[in-house]
Amino acid sequence: MDHAPEVGPRVKPALLRAVVLLAAGVVLGPTVLAQRGSRSFAVSTDNQPYDGRFTFVRMSYTTAMSFGRRGGGGAAWAHDYPLGEANFLKILTAVSNVPANLDGTNVLAFDDPEMFRYPVIYLVEPGYWSMSDDQVTALRGYLQKGGFLIVDDFPYWGWDQFAAQISRVFPNLEWKDLDVSHPIFHSFFDIESLDIVPAYPALGERPIFRALFEDNNPAGRMYVVANFQNDLSEFWEYSETGSYAVGETNEAYKVGVNQFVYGMTR
Amino acid sequence: MFESAFRFLFKYEPLVFEQGQFVLGATRSMWLVALVAIGAGLYVGWTYWQVRVLQGRPRLILLATRTALLLIVAFTLLRPMLLLRVAVPQQNFVGVLIDDSRSMQVADQGSGTRADYVRAEVGTPEAPLLAALGQRFVPRVFRFSSSAERLQAPGDLTFQGTGTRLGDAIDRAREELSGLPVAGLVVVTDGADNAETTIDQPVAGLRAAGVPVFAVGVGKEQLSRDVQITRVETPRRVLEGASLVVDLVVSQTGYAGATVPLTVEEDGRVVSTQDVTLPPDGESQTVKVRFKAGDAGLRTFSFNIPEQANEEVARNNRREALVEVRDTRERVLLAEGEPRPEAKFIRQATATDDHLNVVLLLRTAMATPNAPDKFWRGGVESPDELQSGFPTTREELFRYQGLIIGSFEAAAFSPEQQRMIEDFVAVRGGGLLVLGGARALGEGGWSGTPLSSALPITIQGVARDAILPPLELSVRPTREGQGHPAVQIADTTAGADAKWKELPTLFSVNAAPVASLKPGASLLLSGLDRSGREQVVLAWQRYGRGKSLVLPVQDSWLWRMHASMAVEDTTHQFFWQRLTRWLVDGVPEPVMVTVAPDRVQPGEPLTITAEIFDREYRGINDGQVLAHVTTPSGRIEDVPMEWTVEQEGEYRARFTPTEDGLYRIAVDGVRRSGEATGRGGTSLRVGASDAEYFDAGMRASLLRRLSEETGGRFFRAGDTALLADAISYSGRGVTVVEERDLWDMPIVLFAVLGLMAAEWTTRRKWGLA
Repeated sequence: MDHAPEVGPRVKPALLRAVVLLAAGVVLGPTVLAQRGSRSFAVSTDNQPYDGRFTFVRMSYTTAMSFGRRGGGGAAWAHDYPLGEANFLKILTAVSNVPANLDGTNVLAFDDPEMFRYPVIYLVEPGYWSMSDDQVTALRGYLQKGGFLIVDDFPYWGWDQFAAQISRVFPNLEWKDLDVSHPIFHSFFDIESLDIVPAYPALGERPIFRALFEDNNPAGRMYVVANFQNDLSEFWEYSETGSYAVGETNEAYKVGVNQFVYGMTR
Repeated sequence: MFESAFRFLFKYEPLVFEQGQFVLGATRSMWLVALVAIGAGLYVGWTYWQVRVLQGRPRLILLATRTALLLIVAFTLLRPMLLLRVAVPQQNFVGVLIDDSRSMQVADQGSGTRADYVRAEVGTPEAPLLAALGQRFVPRVFRFSSSAERLQAPGDLTFQGTGTRLGDAIDRAREELSGLPVAGLVVVTDGADNAETTIDQPVAGLRAAGVPVFAVGVGKEQLSRDVQITRVETPRRVLEGASLVVDLVVSQTGYAGATVPLTVEEDGRVVSTQDVTLPPDGESQTVKVRFKAGDAGLRTFSFNIPEQANEEVARNNRREALVEVRDTRERVLLAEGEPRPEAKFIRQATATDDHLNVVLLLRTAMATPNAPDKFWRGGVESPDELQSGFPTTREELFRYQGLIIGSFEAAAFSPEQQRMIEDFVAVRGGGLLVLGGARALGEGGWSGTPLSSALPITIQGVARDAILPPLELSVRPTREGQGHPAVQIADTTAGADAKWKELPTLFSVNAAPVASLKPGASLLLSGLDRSGREQVVLAWQRYGRGKSLVLPVQDSWLWRMHASMAVEDTTHQFFWQRLTRWLVDGVPEPVMVTVAPDRVQPGEPLTITAEIFDREYRGINDGQVLAHVTTPSGRIEDVPMEWTVEQEGEYRARFTPTEDGLYRIAVDGVRRSGEATGRGGTSLRVGASDAEYFDAGMRASLLRRLSEETGGRFFRAGDTALLADAISYSGRGVTVVEERDLWDMPIVLFAVLGLMAAEWTTRRKWGLA
């Protein structure tokens, strides 16, 4: 399997999607099926009203086709929803004193004004992500004012589509690869190594953490962190089942906690 | 006219009756005659009573008139008189103090200046008033302004004195005349005293010496046409780039309702202009003046209103203030008890201010049996800073100028740390700001703690759950908040008013009704919830040497992030930068130096006071302290300072500048242990001031008080005809007793004639014999 170029020549998005769709059934289908389950989720799917507490916000978007699950349904943005965040919140509140809303989580669109009440937002499957012009403007304003976007569940082939969307938001900003010395890896836990095992091979060779900074200044404020070739929420979702090794699951939680605490406080 | 009529009827001036003692001078035989007359009167009355022809009113009238006549006769036979102690001519001295200050140049005395009147009346020995005094007394003439001295020649009166120290002048004259028989002091002045001290002590001295003051008030009590900048309150030191809002008091007469431009200049450069509508005549108005402090250094700010048409005094249209603009970085500790956006956005807002360093101590996990609280530190200057969490020593905490406590419950702090927080405000003089949150204020169990004493609101009850759903508050400045430097969200008042209306609502999880505001606390921002109840949003109070603020909302960051706020909008940044600057404004340093008065002329002494503290802000009393005074010419004088004993860490020295210009004073010291104290300083400008032109109206009340409390009398200029008599009859000095008969007063004759006419008229009317 080819590695997706870190920052290489672009393949036409339409052709890429076609290839991906074909491969999806061969490679990812069994994985998806394996992921399907008859688990019932005792988490409210209604958005929580703002009350000042940290609320997990997953961003929704329009995709060309359904993929993955949403409570049994299919939008890409809903991959690992709602159990991924539900489990994550349990861990977050267990290890830290983040004042989190445990009554439920939120799903918002990029053009929903409510987004601005939550300074940390979460996006998955960016390879299927597209935005309207209004949403681009909203996201730009959100990030410039102090918001923070975490992008996860990010297979290698999704980079071009994702980068294309982000370049509409910030045409002049460039992605920087992070190393373990960056403060985001020490905002709560001290992450000692970025040699993290990906949840499954289809994501890519190894996880790479990329970030977009204000004014392209790596010492400055981070707008976006992308868990490229990684899927933290996969670990979160299945942490109860033993599907993944404890050590790797722990690392996924640690990175996740760090990213959310970082976004809330820096 | 009244006096003339009085003199005609009563033979003497009212002054004689005021000063004289009424006695009856009849001899023993005259007493007998009087008694006989009274007896006759009674007999007459009895006989009238027996006459049956007379009934009712006529009887009463006749009885009354006849009795009154007999009483008057008896009264005159008893020889009524006034005893007066009158000064013996040429046996007594009179001190004449002439005001020689600049305020006497005001042209409001008749058709000329006050100085013209003085020259005409007392300027020479032949002048009318001085000549009248010279006929009865031996005058000793002094001139006074900032100091007093004997007037050697009329030409010595220049009316150029730049200050008026009436009390000092009185003391000087009294001292020079002590041992001599003094009938009184005559003070010819407008009374525009601008000394730092009151006249209480000099008045007490005069009363003890039995010397009355006869004040002659020159000039009008209120000028007809004058605009005056009465007062400007500026901070002594500010941070570079500070946006200042200062109170300026303006008063006027003759231009009520006019709009005038007010200009602010910094070292001659205009930094601000605004229009001011003048208040009604005689009233004062406080104007909020906004401007920015420029580059670091000592800056002279002047506040000017142009001279108005026909204005009588123009030199009081300008005020100057010396402000030290500092290029320092004030350190604020933000202790946050839980990861939440508020701390992030506060740091983001203040990060662009080079003069603020907000150090974040963020608790990210609470202690467990196996591990202490987990913290993240942001903005620390060294790896050791806050390594153990919240400071555990005063020295560590008092390094900061400001302290912000977020959603951090009381139980997370030891009792000693809680006391330290209170002392941070009360003793160190720091600025404390407590934010709202689920673990803050009453909800965080802070009721009954030392911190709760410092807060401007009362918090009650035990720790409890936060209010959920939170109260949604529409925030507005109160009347006091509108001009307050801490809550400026725009550069102009109009801009700020518009912005407040557009700001998104904030949310509070803490009970902070307006009723919880402590007496003496000020409410700057309030919020209305959906039920119309008013909540405290920002309040503050002075506490000890410092100030304490409370902002019981949890998400001011919505003023940055809310969808309705544009990316370019700077409201949140302005708010937090200005609030934080104000929080640390005026926070004392380990060595604080002041001078009093803060404006003197060469040759006038001043007092240098230094407050010297150790790192825990305890006063140092064992220091060898020096004030290093740098003169305008660059010379440095070392002035030893002495501990005052009255106050911990307070040292004083007297110094007399001799040059015009800017003086810089730096103070430092060495303790008995050899350890050096800190160093602090101040500056002052030495030179002639325009104080004489401010409040230049004649102070009748002051002069009247000075006169009456010493047994003298107040006269207005132009109405001094009885001045010499008043001094003569004051009973002071070498005196002789004189008798003034009253039996031959014209009014006695008129009374007799009047009573006789009344009796005759009554008889005629009733057809009696």
